[in-house]
Amino acid sequence: MIIESSDQVPRVTLLKRFPVPRNFKVTPQSRIEKGRTWPAPADASRLKAFEVYRYDPESDRNPRIDTFEVDLDDCGPMVLDALIWIKNKVDPTLAFRRSCREGVCGSCAMNMDGTNWLACTRFISDMSKPATIYPLANLPIIKDLVPDTTHLFAQYEIIQPWLHAETPTPEKERLQSPQERSQLDGYYECILCFCCTSGCPSHWWNGDRFLGPAALLQAWRWLADSRDEAEEERLDTLEDPFRLYRCHTILNCTRTCPKGLNPGKAIAEIKKMVIEREG
Amino acid sequence: MDSKPTILGVTAGRPRPLSPNIQIYRPQLTSVLSIANRITSVVLSLGAVGLVIWLTAAAMGPRAYGEVQGVVVSWGGRIVLFGFTFAFFMHLCGGIRHLVWDTVHGFELRSIYISGWAVVAGSVVLTLAAWAASLLLAG
Repeated sequence: MIIESSDQVPRVTLLKRFPVPRNFKVTPQSRIEKGRTWPAPADASRLKAFEVYRYDPESDRNPRIDTFEVDLDDCGPMVLDALIWIKNKVDPTLAFRRSCREGVCGSCAMNMDGTNWLACTRFISDMSKPATIYPLANLPIIKDLVPDTTHLFAQYEIIQPWLHAETPTPEKERLQSPQERSQLDGYYECILCFCCTSGCPSHWWNGDRFLGPAALLQAWRWLADSRDEAEEERLDTLEDPFRLYRCHTILNCTRTCPKGLNPGKAIAEIKKMVIEREG
Repeated sequence: MDSKPTILGVTAGRPRPLSPNIQIYRPQLTSVLSIANRITSVVLSLGAVGLVIWLTAAAMGPRAYGEVQGVVVSWGGRIVLFGFTFAFFMHLCGGIRHLVWDTVHGFELRSIYISGWAVVAGSVVLTLAAWAASLLLAG
């Protein structure tokens, strides 16, 4: 099946998950246990089951998978609506991040049916039966679907995502031609939801030192900016066996970006620029 | 009183769980072909050892060569050799795909999927063609 854009939900499923044991490489405190099945609402005609990852930091229990039956006739069309419905009608302790509910803020990024996306822009009707909801992959979990993204933002800080210019500040703004401005298209739109970095197998295994697709896409956004004057320093920061070159062009990032951006291409552009400056 | 100290209700000393990654992430053409490229490279390394054994046997004389060749042309040997041929062509096609990517071409999602399926189809066709040719020529 040819995927034309990242919002396409796969229609054919050969393998739901990789054939590895459930607890493959999992630390004891991360082992997922069986959770509870919450009672279905009375007199609902259209029900859909949601299996949701739960973790309560105030208990001594391990993470678990709870099953909720959502009344589709009483609920909006998106996965985020289903989570809000569960929180309002079934279990008010369910924790998840959300804000804009229209794919602009990147708060509700999570793993749905095995891929990362925003809960507010994923239709419930596109979810399998039962729908499976996990937090973003490979992150320390604060509670339920709320991951700790401190490390990801620290990696973002390494690439210094602001304008570096030596030339004196002009009286008005720093001008760009429309052509120069268009170099940023497809890169400046990143909302830092970290769907890509969390979906990158290379970042799973080497995330302590590999910057990951989100930070590297931002690095390219500044390298491609005609107003930025720190190309050499930026490339010096990036040229490293781990920071940049742990990218093996797997391209899960480009497949999963909820904004349809292309982190894989941005990283290839950086690699090319590093080679070209060596002459 | 609870003996364990808590910070904001969180039990101290209990590390946060890590959310699952490979255990739940959906296999996609992107990741499957990437791991296939790795696996085929391992198979090729092992196959290279086999090739050295075969060449050494040939250099040692007709008796040693005959014994090794007997294993190679046995049914088990042929199956292993078929897998090795497939690994060779898959790694070759995947390598060409990576070379093109290094020039920053073929990164649109559509291109990624077309080149990905081309690698799968190409390695199957080339493997079958190589075996058909060798069976026709050498029997």
